[in-house]
Amino acid sequence: MAVRAETVPAWQRGRIASWLVTVDHKRIGILYIATSAVFFVAGGVMALLIRTQLAQANEDFITGEKYNELFTMHGTTMVFLVVVPILAGFANFLVPLMIGAEDMAFPRLNALSYWLFLFGGLVLMLSFFANSGPADAGWTSYPPLSVLSNGDGQDLWILSLHILTISSLLGAINFIVTIANMRAPGMSYTRMPLFIWAVLTYGILLLLALPALSAGLTLLLLDRQVDTHFFTPDSGGNAVLYQHVFWFFGHPEVYIMILPVFGMISEIIPVFARKPIFGYKAVAFATVGIAFYSMLVWAHHMFTVGMPNVLNSFFMISSFIIAVPTGVKILNWLATLWRGNIHFDTPMLFALGFISVFTIGGLSGIFLAAFTFDWQAQDTYYVVAHFHYVLFGGSILGLLGGLFYWWPKMFGRLLDERLGKWTFWLLFIGFNVTFFPMHLMGLLGMPRRIYTYTDEGLLESYNLVSTIGSYLMGVAFLILLWNIVKTTKRGRRAGNDPWLADTLEWFTTSPPPPHNFDRVPYVTSARPLNDLRRKLQEANAL
Amino acid sequence: MTALVRTKPFVTGALAALALALAPAALGGNGGFAPPDPASPNAEGINTTYLYIAVFTGVIFVLVEGALLWFVFKYRRHRRARGDDGPQIHGNTRLEVAWTVVPVLIVAAIAAFVFYELPGISDVPPATAAGGREDVKVVGNQFYWLFEYPSGAVAVDRMRVPAGKNVKLEVTAPDWDVIHSWWIPRLGGKIDAIPGIRNTTWFRADKPGVYDGQCAELCGVNHALMTAQVEALPQAEYDAWLDARLAGEGLGEETFGGVCAKCHGLQGEGGIGPPLAGNALLNDPEAVAEVVRNGRGEMPPVGKDWGDEQMRALTDYLREEVVSGGQG
Repeated sequence: MAVRAETVPAWQRGRIASWLVTVDHKRIGILYIATSAVFFVAGGVMALLIRTQLAQANEDFITGEKYNELFTMHGTTMVFLVVVPILAGFANFLVPLMIGAEDMAFPRLNALSYWLFLFGGLVLMLSFFANSGPADAGWTSYPPLSVLSNGDGQDLWILSLHILTISSLLGAINFIVTIANMRAPGMSYTRMPLFIWAVLTYGILLLLALPALSAGLTLLLLDRQVDTHFFTPDSGGNAVLYQHVFWFFGHPEVYIMILPVFGMISEIIPVFARKPIFGYKAVAFATVGIAFYSMLVWAHHMFTVGMPNVLNSFFMISSFIIAVPTGVKILNWLATLWRGNIHFDTPMLFALGFISVFTIGGLSGIFLAAFTFDWQAQDTYYVVAHFHYVLFGGSILGLLGGLFYWWPKMFGRLLDERLGKWTFWLLFIGFNVTFFPMHLMGLLGMPRRIYTYTDEGLLESYNLVSTIGSYLMGVAFLILLWNIVKTTKRGRRAGNDPWLADTLEWFTTSPPPPHNFDRVPYVTSARPLNDLRRKLQEANAL
Repeated sequence: MTALVRTKPFVTGALAALALALAPAALGGNGGFAPPDPASPNAEGINTTYLYIAVFTGVIFVLVEGALLWFVFKYRRHRRARGDDGPQIHGNTRLEVAWTVVPVLIVAAIAAFVFYELPGISDVPPATAAGGREDVKVVGNQFYWLFEYPSGAVAVDRMRVPAGKNVKLEVTAPDWDVIHSWWIPRLGGKIDAIPGIRNTTWFRADKPGVYDGQCAELCGVNHALMTAQVEALPQAEYDAWLDARLAGEGLGEETFGGVCAKCHGLQGEGGIGPPLAGNALLNDPEAVAEVVRNGRGEMPPVGKDWGDEQMRALTDYLREEVVSGGQG
């Protein structure tokens, strides 16, 4: 709740203190985004170390032991400390603004979510200093390997994920309650921005999926600490059980990480194509459909554990079905571009880049869902290529589009367009150079999670190309950092609505005041600002 | 307009660079654009499935990316103002239905083909099938593969099989070990070796030769070194090898190379494990067997369920070849 300035005690008004005690959704959102960005740098450095080790055959830049720790921490960091929380950050900043509310439903709970996230993240990062180093059994931490793993790293990994899970659950409840109860007058469910539809679905999925993770982690901790045998076979446990529990959470998690980004793309494309979204209801329904089916596909991560073919077939078909609503979204975005007036501002470049690479990630997903082919591709670099096309090419490119799009609303100044375009092109090219060859490495027979390989032929060439691409991406992010530094003081002022956008957040000032809106217009469609502009034009014409 | 001028050479350049980078690979064999050249009927079935799916996804790829590029080019801003809105089209129900139904038909066609090819890939040929069948038990251990033949012969990391004969594999891992995954790309897909679970798979290497693979499920620090070979031999040579192995020939060296050397070095010079060369303990077969069967410190119990012959073969090899640094 926006607290009026005069009621705030003096000690809380300082430049730093005011951020520490804040319960303002906008500040919490920015804290989330900034914290995730710092973790992104950490995860990115780990990725560059991994790529450096793999640049050549028989390289010994990193030992096998350190390598296992690095990819475990890279994956965990990127999933739990970057993509999920940065989405929570955007949702925090945007949900009340987009639905015309003053704040989130539970502002203090919101602050608690953020601080739990920060401390959960610190537990994970500090586990680098644990006895025997951090966790080293992969971000999936399959037992028995994770049960046998030495030292405290694996336990801290479990502790960290437990904390992050609580953080995300509280956040999810907050988003759902806020969206259900605090929408502006006139904003029925079918007049909500598509991003809000996506956040609502994201919240529900988190609520459904996270308890499975918590349960699995608790059993894993018990196996490690008090010698229960849930997942180790020597006293009747079952190692595959953990995989079911983990992926029952893990696959919805994939959509938790992509649905809000779909929502961003559905906001950005209409604004820069100067058209309404094509098929609003189809896109909203596809979001819900993807979420539903995402609960039914988990064992497509487990086609090699020896399930009966009846089960393999079920999970193949459910995975194929989920491709349909995903395809519907892509086609609706394309139809939105059709006959538009397309502006190539940086947010739009990222959105278009998103469509082009996400399509590739979706298509490789069709291959992987065919379980007979998956028997070849499972646990190879083909899978690594696939999920980076979805998670980096999808989530991160989309998020960067969102960052360039909403940055002026957050800080009142636009990011530099020229530097933004450099970031986009370097990233887009670097991304494809890094990850496309991984499809080929996988089909050549390179398993994932190996710290070295001996083939000095084609496989080494592909690896070298991939490493060069990863450095290009590093440069792209340095340019983004420079862009932020440069425009903080000298960036072009944004005004309320620099993009002539459609949704309510552009109705208020940039940055918005603590209470967000002096008044909220009655919402008559999913594009309230467009409606206002049209009324204004009609009035002027008269 | 300005944006377009900048965009076009970038796109063209990127595509040209990609094409140049991929051309030599495409010309020299499949280069990773399809699974490796199959050498077994089940691998063949997987490749056929891959190519079938690639036709559909290839067409979708071209259509979607083509439409994207075409729209981006055709409906670019040009000289229009930002406030200049495009036609306010909100959707089209018939189109929505069409592009829901067509993808459903496409995935149905793909699923149907997967099922069509499935028996040829998945069904283990019966022992009574023409040419008979060889059964081998595959046990994944940190960080080596143990192969057990029905005759009692064992091998480490290098499986010998008769060429042209169906081979059924029973794949598992010991209760105290972790999950591994058996995978020889040219001989078919992978199957996990899971403690407490017995999985089956099969292959038939029609041509004699050596087929390489490696463990495909993270199994610990030396996961990357856990390689496997299948050597398909003409029947007569295979029979000869089996007889020799039953007499213990080559078993000590193979065991040392596969089991010990990955941590202790090929000459016992040490690696992530301590050096063995010059360690007097190696002269005492019972002390060695004790460590190998029970593990010690970071070392897993690599030989917990070995037969006496294999243990003796290893201790003999250690005493004769390793303790003296190969001088003895």
